[in-house]
Amino acid sequence: MIVFFQSLLSGVLIGGVYALIGIGLTIIFGVMRIINFAHGDIMMIGMYLAYNLFTLAGVDPFLSIVIIVPVMFLFGALLQKLFINRILNALPQNQILLTIGLGLIMSNTMMLIFTSDYKILSTTYSSSSVNLFGISISEPLAISFAITAAITAALYWFFLKTDTGQAIRATAQDREAAQLMGINVKRMSIIACGVGAALAGTAGALISPTYYIFPQIGSAFTLKAFVITVLGGMGSVLGATLGGVVIGIAESMGAVYISSGWKDVVVFILFLLILLFKPSGLMGKSRT
Amino acid sequence: MKKGFIAVFLVIALLVPMTVFAAAVKIGVINSMTGPEAPIGENLTNGIKLAQEDLKKKGINVDLVWEDDTGKPQIAMSAMEKLATRENVAGVVGPYTSACANAVAKLSEKYKVPLLVPAAAKEEITRQGYKWVYRMNAPADVYASVLIDATMSLGKPKTIAFIYENTDFGTSTTKTAKEYVMKKGLQVVADEPYSKGSPDYRSTLTKIKAKKPDLVFMVSYVADAILLMRQAREIGLQPQAFLGGGAGFTTVQFAKEKEISNCVLSCTQWTDDVSWPGARDFGARYKAKFGKEPTYHAACAYESMMIMAQTAAQSAGDREKTRAALKAGKWNGIMGEVRFADYAGFTNQNNHQMLVQQIQEGKYETVYPKQFATKKTVYPFPAWK
Repeated sequence: MIVFFQSLLSGVLIGGVYALIGIGLTIIFGVMRIINFAHGDIMMIGMYLAYNLFTLAGVDPFLSIVIIVPVMFLFGALLQKLFINRILNALPQNQILLTIGLGLIMSNTMMLIFTSDYKILSTTYSSSSVNLFGISISEPLAISFAITAAITAALYWFFLKTDTGQAIRATAQDREAAQLMGINVKRMSIIACGVGAALAGTAGALISPTYYIFPQIGSAFTLKAFVITVLGGMGSVLGATLGGVVIGIAESMGAVYISSGWKDVVVFILFLLILLFKPSGLMGKSRT
Repeated sequence: MKKGFIAVFLVIALLVPMTVFAAAVKIGVINSMTGPEAPIGENLTNGIKLAQEDLKKKGINVDLVWEDDTGKPQIAMSAMEKLATRENVAGVVGPYTSACANAVAKLSEKYKVPLLVPAAAKEEITRQGYKWVYRMNAPADVYASVLIDATMSLGKPKTIAFIYENTDFGTSTTKTAKEYVMKKGLQVVADEPYSKGSPDYRSTLTKIKAKKPDLVFMVSYVADAILLMRQAREIGLQPQAFLGGGAGFTTVQFAKEKEISNCVLSCTQWTDDVSWPGARDFGARYKAKFGKEPTYHAACAYESMMIMAQTAAQSAGDREKTRAALKAGKWNGIMGEVRFADYAGFTNQNNHQMLVQQIQEGKYETVYPKQFATKKTVYPFPAWK
């Protein structure tokens, strides 16, 4: 029984971080209809930022998000303004190639600067945990889960209550109609891309005390973010949150009750089943 | 006038083969220089660079052709094709990972190029009766047996749990480890392969903890080793000993994480405090030149390159002669005595003595076998703080 609850809890906690990556991707997709294949690499940059802030300036990785969020927001906005904006109306395969290319440039630049060595960020609490009824709760994961929850709530409020948030949602629903209603669609795209990058960077910072950092780490998380986004319903923030947690639990449970070597298979079978029976994703609305 | 010409001609005719003979011997290197295995691959690269310097001192100019396999077998294979057919190398040292080395071994047999594998552990590499494939390091079965022997000499463990990455290296090491522990009367209570790179092993480790094993045997590359031990501490997994099968458990980075690495036992092909000729000196020079501690991979690659280049130079780059000389030769260097023998189903395999080391306060200390030991083993594993 302890094994069951332990893996459930681990799954939920790690799922929280997955959710954050997924939300970033889903916002970018929702507004621009572009699948950002550089998403994992943006997260990787967040990890390196957290790592360097910690080793060079002694900033705690969880506190460092205060710096990382605006920096990554600017980075994402810049990417949108310089590159993505130019191909909004291009063929989908060109858009995919552009984001893949950007990702490659990011990971290889980081490799030139930091070499391909694994960086391990060891804080005082990196391997500490709290024991609750025989179930151990990883402290850094619990903290990052709490931060994720807070960020998701803030985002929700932002999208529902603020003018900018509503304008972004309007752009996501119908770009042309939004433009006709006087919404500055270009600016909304820039904001959306910035928010997406900031979320990915934050996810990187949050996971950095418990995970390891190297330039090629992005691709694995891009794939995961993609699965989460599709699973939750493309463009849906709530769906991405749910998708992240579902994937986290599926991985964790799959590892215990089948075999850790097969946990990715479990995730992808789950993914296929959802695509078969609810093609628009858990929270997605069909677009026809 | 005519005589003069003939004289000049004769001199040139004499000189030309001389210069050809003194020309560099061409050796190929296949290694994981980029990609996920690059942190360890770097050790092999540096070891080979040191070997190149030392060969120069001995009057052997080596022309190295570097190929990066990025850790992928298909790229390693195309590198081998290029080295064998276009570059016309006298021999090849590498690749690093088991998967790549095993793929390349087939090609070296096909193109008849001597291949010296420095550090890949998968047993099959030298178990297929290949004539052109040689291996420096001890294969995977020794990883497990030397560790089990060491713990059996220390205490009376009864049960063992395995957690390992589902790659060639992990599965191959674990497969023979399982056979070996059964022979020794240990009971396998958990057998958990994992796909590397996942951020969370807690659930798997909890499952293992529930079985209360006396020994926990792990096989992983660099970073997973740290994650596994961190999470083992988090959930309070408390066996008599943690055994790390080479790779990630033998890196400085791992040892530096004192909180979690202290008293972990791991096996290694080489340490710089062992009494093999030049081992200490190699360690010191490596540190001075690259500013890092060498792992055993560096030593394996160094010695492999020394042997391959010297043999190829003596055979004037002739592949068939190089192959025969490798088979007949005997060396004694920083890896101890090296001989490529046929035994227990292996062909051209150096029957290398592996060592067991324990991390004590962030430093690797050789603890087994007794004649190489520098410190006493801490056993059983102390309770987590």
